[in-house]
Amino acid sequence: MEKTIIINIGNTIIHIEESAYEFLKAYLNEVKQHFANHADDLEIVTDIENRIAELLTEQLQDQKKQVVDTNDVQHVVSQMGRVKDFDSVEENEEEPVLESSYQHQYAEKKLYRDMDDRVVAGVCSGIAHFLNTEAKWIRIAVLLMAFLGGFGFLVYAILWIIMPKAKSRLEKMEMKGEPANLQGFQKNLNEELQAVKERLGEVNKHALPIFARFGMVIGEFFEWIGRFLSGSGKILFKVIAGFIIVFGAFLLLMLIITTAAFQGFWDSSIYDSFPFSIINDGNRGVILFSAFIVLFIPILALVLFSIRVAFNKQAINKTLSFALLIIWLGGVAIAGYQAAKISSEFKQHAELTQTVDLKAFKTYIIDIDRSRYFSREDSITYHINANENKQIVTDDFENGPFVMPNNIRIDIEKGATNATRLIQKYESQGKTFQSALQNAQNIDYKYSLKDSTIVFNPRFELRKGTIWRNQEVRLQLEIPVGTKVILKEDSYRYVNNYGIWDCGEKEGDKNDYTSWIMTEDGLKCIAQLKEEALNKQKLKDELHDLELSQKNTPVDTLKQDSILNRIRELKEELGINAEDRKYR
Amino acid sequence: MIAENTQTQMRKGILEYCVLSIISRGEIYASDIIAELRSAKLLVVEGTLYPLLTRLKNNGLLSYNWVESTSGPPRKYYTLTDVGREILSKLDQTWQELAYAVGISQSGANSTTS
Repeated sequence: MEKTIIINIGNTIIHIEESAYEFLKAYLNEVKQHFANHADDLEIVTDIENRIAELLTEQLQDQKKQVVDTNDVQHVVSQMGRVKDFDSVEENEEEPVLESSYQHQYAEKKLYRDMDDRVVAGVCSGIAHFLNTEAKWIRIAVLLMAFLGGFGFLVYAILWIIMPKAKSRLEKMEMKGEPANLQGFQKNLNEELQAVKERLGEVNKHALPIFARFGMVIGEFFEWIGRFLSGSGKILFKVIAGFIIVFGAFLLLMLIITTAAFQGFWDSSIYDSFPFSIINDGNRGVILFSAFIVLFIPILALVLFSIRVAFNKQAINKTLSFALLIIWLGGVAIAGYQAAKISSEFKQHAELTQTVDLKAFKTYIIDIDRSRYFSREDSITYHINANENKQIVTDDFENGPFVMPNNIRIDIEKGATNATRLIQKYESQGKTFQSALQNAQNIDYKYSLKDSTIVFNPRFELRKGTIWRNQEVRLQLEIPVGTKVILKEDSYRYVNNYGIWDCGEKEGDKNDYTSWIMTEDGLKCIAQLKEEALNKQKLKDELHDLELSQKNTPVDTLKQDSILNRIRELKEELGINAEDRKYR
Repeated sequence: MIAENTQTQMRKGILEYCVLSIISRGEIYASDIIAELRSAKLLVVEGTLYPLLTRLKNNGLLSYNWVESTSGPPRKYYTLTDVGREILSKLDQTWQELAYAVGISQSGANSTTS
């Protein structure tokens, strides 16, 4: 019994025993080597191969068998003749001439990219051949340069574009600076043919301008990426995939736990906080379910894909993944519908205004009620005993469950009349104007009035059963001109039409309030007004002194000029016109 | 050794002439050329013929056609070109002269001319 090989020789398919194949191959190599430096080596070798194919086929037909054995090959070889027999007939005279011309070409080395020994594009190994060193040293050097500010990458890219590929045998020999040692090559005929074609093509390529090389380089770059992804990059991807699997599984677990929590197994009060407070009671289950699906399935898909990358195994079949996709789309549709439904409830806007006339006082004190508003339920949950008067719970404005954006705004404005008025504006969104108005009406806002002190609640509440629909409370306090306003410290953050932080008493004073007065130009800080007046007086005094000294003492012109300049400056600051001086 | 070398030299020159002569009789396949040469005991191995044919073809003496074969790959059938025919006639003349020269040198001028 013998192993057989199928060979293609002279475009004929022949079954051949392994030992016979080795013999035939050795013979053909011998023949090729013999004719290698012949001008028409390809054609001669092709002719010989065709003839061998024909002889073998004839023998198989004659002997009525299927497979060529060693005897058949030996017979063919004896008929064709060994290489040493060829010499005796065909003349050798032209060969030395050919060889010497080749040798001349090989003598000088050329810079090519070595495509057989490459990491990226063979630039380093090409340089190594040129410099007679090992490629690893060049690679290390380039890597070092790459780390030193990325210079190496640039050099590499430029060399990639400039250096041509060593494609043909001739170019490879030129690259390595090998002498005309034609004994070593063992390429089969097809490769040789290819090399010759490419050599012809290369002539054109060398004439190409640099720009045309870019396209080639880009193509090669992508080819390299492809090789990287299927080679060493694969391991990297597997590691990444492993991480994704671990984190993804963790995420999925978290998602399940969170959903369970929302579903009310552990804490139903989560719906009191924003933004979940937007959702209507009845829709919570549906929205939770669809949100779960929308989030869960993509993560699951990512994990499954990572499993496939990491283990080369398909975790689920196509039907199941298709079903998952359908479920996900369904979830997206439900979530989208619910989102649209909720957002439609913000469509209309309604405003409710309530005006209260306040008793006239010379001074108003505005304060914020820091004590929290507690409902009966809250008092029970927080264990606050209403009968124990000494307990005071204050709001630090920071902590506590964030139910909804429910802060108030206070605007202090100049009153049109002499009366003091408080205008409360309740605003809300709703599906229709009516429901918006209803939502606005359901705002529960409290403030207290005690003599001249107005105490505002920092927040408003919504009456039971009302959902957050962007409700807002705006308080507009209209004060007649000349009335003083004292703003307590806590009210700073709610009064928003004046630069309250600029208004401080003199340094050292640490009052927890600021004093203001309503003027024709709006509310003014009293401390600031005082300071301004003081400043003005100072300037006036200086001006007076200068004018006196200018009149009385005659001095040199230089000093005169500087005094005049200063007078002009002072006048400008005080708002006295230059014209005034003329008339005087 | 010297004898062998001379033999080779003689064969070489004559082989080319014979090949051209064989092809001049009509379109012919390489292995048929070989068969004829072999029967004439001029050629030892087939491998020798292919470089010769290629060279003659490249020099413009021969041309060939591909002809489909029933057993194996298509065959090259060689024919003589006009150049080849011209050269062959010159070679014929040379051969006549050579044969005459050989005859004379072997048996003397007198015996052949008379």
